[in-house]
Amino acid sequence: MPDHSLLEMKGIEIEFPGVKALDKVDFSVNAGEIHALLGENGAGKSTLIKCLTGVHHMDAGTILFDGKEIRPTSPQEAFSMGISTVYQEINLCPNLTVAENIFVGRQPMKGGMINWKEINRRAKELMSRFHMDIDVTRPLNNYSTAIQQMVSIARAVDIDAKILILDEPTSSLDDNEVQLLFNVMRELKAEGMGIIFITHFLDQIFAVSDRMTILRNGTLVGTYNTTDITKLQLVTLMIGKDIDVIFNLKRAHVDPNAPEMLRTENLGTPGQIQNVNLSMKKGELLGFAGLLGSGRTETAELIFGAVPATEGTEDINGKRVSIKKPLDAIKAKLAFCPEDRKRDGIIGDLSIRENIALALQARRGFLHPISRQEQNELADKYIKLLSIATPDAEKKIGDLSGGNQQKVILARWMATQPDLLILDEPTRGIDVGAKAEIQRLMLEMCNDGVSVIFISSELEEIIRCSNRIIVMRDGKKVGEVKGEECTQQTLLSIIAEGEQEGASA
Amino acid sequence: MPERIPEQRQSFASRFLKPQYVMVYATVGIFILIYIYGAVRFGSIGFTTLRTFINMFKDNAYYGISAVGMTLVLITGGIDLSVASVACLTGMIVAYGTTVLGFHPAVCMLVALIVGVGLGVLQGAAIHYLNVPPFITTLAGNFLARGVCSLISRESISVSHPMIDALAGWKWYFKKYVDGEWVKIKPIAFINVNLFVFIVMIIIGTIILQKTKFGRNIYAIGGNEQSAKLMGLPVAKTKIMVYGFNGLCSVIAGFAYLLEVKSGWNLALNGGELEAITCAVIGGTLLTGGVGYMVGTLFGVLLKSVIPALITFNGNLLSWWGKIATGGLLALFIVIQRIVVTTSERNKSKKKEAT
Amino acid sequence: MKKKSFNLSGVMQSKITWAVVAELLILLVCFIIRPDFFSIKYQPATGMLYGSLIDILNRSAEITIIAMGMTLVIALGGTDLSVGSLVALSGALALKFLRWDVLVYNTPGDYTVKPFILVILVPLAVCTLMGMFNGFMISRIGMQPIIATLILMVCGRGIAQIVTNGKQFTTLYSPFRVIGQGSLFFLPMPIIITAVVVIGVSLFVRKTAFGTMVESVGINPSASRLSGIDSKKIIMIVFALTAFLSAISGLITASRVMSNDSNNFGINFEMDAILAVVIGGTNMSGGKFSLAGTVIGSIIIRTIVTFVYYFGIVSEATMAFKALIIIVVIVLQSEPVRKKMSKFGKKKVTGGVQHA
Repeated sequence: MPDHSLLEMKGIEIEFPGVKALDKVDFSVNAGEIHALLGENGAGKSTLIKCLTGVHHMDAGTILFDGKEIRPTSPQEAFSMGISTVYQEINLCPNLTVAENIFVGRQPMKGGMINWKEINRRAKELMSRFHMDIDVTRPLNNYSTAIQQMVSIARAVDIDAKILILDEPTSSLDDNEVQLLFNVMRELKAEGMGIIFITHFLDQIFAVSDRMTILRNGTLVGTYNTTDITKLQLVTLMIGKDIDVIFNLKRAHVDPNAPEMLRTENLGTPGQIQNVNLSMKKGELLGFAGLLGSGRTETAELIFGAVPATEGTEDINGKRVSIKKPLDAIKAKLAFCPEDRKRDGIIGDLSIRENIALALQARRGFLHPISRQEQNELADKYIKLLSIATPDAEKKIGDLSGGNQQKVILARWMATQPDLLILDEPTRGIDVGAKAEIQRLMLEMCNDGVSVIFISSELEEIIRCSNRIIVMRDGKKVGEVKGEECTQQTLLSIIAEGEQEGASA
Repeated sequence: MPERIPEQRQSFASRFLKPQYVMVYATVGIFILIYIYGAVRFGSIGFTTLRTFINMFKDNAYYGISAVGMTLVLITGGIDLSVASVACLTGMIVAYGTTVLGFHPAVCMLVALIVGVGLGVLQGAAIHYLNVPPFITTLAGNFLARGVCSLISRESISVSHPMIDALAGWKWYFKKYVDGEWVKIKPIAFINVNLFVFIVMIIIGTIILQKTKFGRNIYAIGGNEQSAKLMGLPVAKTKIMVYGFNGLCSVIAGFAYLLEVKSGWNLALNGGELEAITCAVIGGTLLTGGVGYMVGTLFGVLLKSVIPALITFNGNLLSWWGKIATGGLLALFIVIQRIVVTTSERNKSKKKEAT
Repeated sequence: MKKKSFNLSGVMQSKITWAVVAELLILLVCFIIRPDFFSIKYQPATGMLYGSLIDILNRSAEITIIAMGMTLVIALGGTDLSVGSLVALSGALALKFLRWDVLVYNTPGDYTVKPFILVILVPLAVCTLMGMFNGFMISRIGMQPIIATLILMVCGRGIAQIVTNGKQFTTLYSPFRVIGQGSLFFLPMPIIITAVVVIGVSLFVRKTAFGTMVESVGINPSASRLSGIDSKKIIMIVFALTAFLSAISGLITASRVMSNDSNNFGINFEMDAILAVVIGGTNMSGGKFSLAGTVIGSIIIRTIVTFVYYFGIVSEATMAFKALIIIVVIVLQSEPVRKKMSKFGKKKVTGGVQHA
């Protein structure tokens, strides 16, 4: 390994409105190294990468690349310097052939015209170097995500990238495909490329990386050699034990004789998630723990009908229901705050008032409008109850801060007076104060007899609030613990190792 | 080490049945079916002659020329509603310039070229830099060009100039070698300037799309404009050039129309933009962008002209059945496109499950 | 203070403001050139008011009515190209029933099928069905609106010609004349019909939650679905409504000339309607819409046309004027320009606050 780093980022700082997204973060990559970049959602991984590729412009800090200071202003510029990114969502053209995706924009020419033979020959060569003997003359969208990702990598490799950033490349790959990708990564490493590998899968980090850098809440936790660290230590570092503020929160009390609110048997959809068996009591708060991609969100979507279930049964309050679309679920008094607030939650250009009334209105149907006065009352009530920071209810929801947007979405569902409220990462990316308030609200609702499913990556808050915690990994339930008996240590070990191994450890 | 070979399913059939060609096959197939039907029904009264076949091209040559440029625009995911008006404007400029002002038609043609290509470039720039939807931008271009036509003259202006007459009169007859000399085949069939230009434009279009970086960038933009940007392709330049090229095609189409009618009229070719779009779409070009072939457009033009031909041969059917048949064809093709797209998506997710 | 500053920059950014300003400017120009542009006279013979302003309202009726539906279509993020063809179809159907004698019995004589109401109801019903076909292709098959409606745009006029066997009829039946040429409250009937449609659609959209749902689907389909909004139903209703309104417009068009003309009725109506909506400040990419803005947009278009006629400019040149208006409007509304404008507005406002 050379003694100087190929890439060195020092003291990177960036501030978004209201949040310090990165605070004095250092990060370096050597040539011929696979360096894992880790952290939970909102830790600042993607922000750091976006500073490097010129999507964001950092407020302070320096980037040294190959000994020279650089400051890319756009992904194209970073790309031309030799920094290539392969995203989780493929950034290629689905209608072009595999070969062309590798060579478009820099096709070999012959007599003023594109030399297709040469393109296809070289593409075939390149792909077979990655052990992919595929027909490169077929359009890209004929192939699976794994292959599309390889094509992305092939393009980067052929352009002589020195740094290759792989942003969650494995989240939609199966084991075989992951192994294939790892082989390629190792080969590229042997050729002296520096690879930044972002992933949520712990096993994979240990399988392939040389070093790892861990971020948490926009700050650097540290950089470690992979051989010097255990899985448990890693999870602890990622999630952190800093209990920032101790709130005076008490778990909801669940009457042991309370009626069953939700029961699912073998609920599932082939190809998505299957065999979901759950049972919840009225007023219970059920936590879903596990890393991203473990099947937490998918389970919630199945219960709510966002992805319709094709097999199994679902009973709500002892009655069999058939939930084919979200409206059915809302009619059955279910509510669901999705994970991606921007994409699935807010209606950006509508006012706070309209956003709050939306789900209730949808349940009533548009012919039974909620009067303007009722809407105002609803809006005022929830703005006060949830202390939403806004001058008035007519402000566009898109103009609010993340925490306040989340509260409005919560208000939308509280207004429907649900029996079961599913919250998918409701506290992600919002400030500590708003976080505590949302937790308090959840517990209050439980005490009022609402059942809550609470999905979170932060173990601390999940343990503090839940009556029962279900731990998921790889689309399966791997453990279940009672909230009172649970410590972060036990939960961490279940997430890392599964219940049996965790218990024996 | 799992050295496996995924997706190895290269059979002889699959080499030709590539999904990207399905739409073109559908167009060609349907054309052949209709043609055979016509041959069986009306073969005895001359449907199968070369003359009928050539006429199918000839009568729609100006729409075909416009469809060449339109295909490029549609592949980028855009649309251009201004083509018919620009073609009409070309006719007006040449007619007014030659007949009223007394310029040489070649000079007028040059002016028309500058106007048409300039308008196209401006539209492209507005679409890219101002982020105005192509539909609205080119609608403005449509109104503008049509309005200027009316400002030039509200009367039809006939053109009579040796050069125009010569071009309009040029014919290349199909001949056969009989008894030591070339004689015109019967019934007489010939290629005129319009048809010749149409075929040349199709060839140029094919070369642009298949053999130049510019053409491949067009496909890339239509496939995913964001990705094209990230891949470092010159998106702005390509889009502007596409609309400029389409302006050029409109001007040539306008000139071709002028040769046919030998006059300029401010209401000529009203609604012609839809004819051009229809030719491209039934030729397999996706209105969502990213997919389209010149060969498809060529057969699209043929397919669109075989219907009126059939109606003429039938003699009893009235001409508006042509509109309905075209609409029906359009619906059919769009539904086929939907099916092709959804099945390829389904195949992919199935594949995903299987692995 | 804070609230006021917010409002001012809101007005600067509001797109309907620009439409109103534009209309006032055009009227001002008219007034300067010919002060009598604004005169309105009462004609006892017909019991109607006459004048350029009345004429503008009267002649804008067809487009205004269609544009009401088009506003909702565009708010959903779509376009409906089939409206012009539906106008032709509606006219053809009405005349078919008015001239049942010629068409069916081949003996000119008795003017119309009885009851007369069928002449109105059948075109409305048939066109609404056509609109539902559009809606079906879009919401169930999943086509882009522009493609799905292109089909009907291409073959709609053909269907209209089949309805009347390709013939053009005229009628003298006076109840039918009322629709396009009658009067009520001293005003031409089309103005009254337009007012009823505008008020009716506004009430339907704003007094029920329909408008909010349309906006919601137009802004964020995914979030709308998860909030329980049935977007398929919304799309279906919007396209059916637009077709229904096109049919009304077709009846007015036919009644004005007491005839049918499948080739020329409703030509470019889709373009004009889209134009009215865009001038009125509704964004082509969907979302928030303004029916009032659309009405103003439609009036602007007609004002230009009237202006051109009134001052003896070549009538076909209206196209060029329309183009100029679109160019001004799209440049003003385009993202880069609007960002600059709103920055400018805010700067001015903050300056004012500092002064205070």
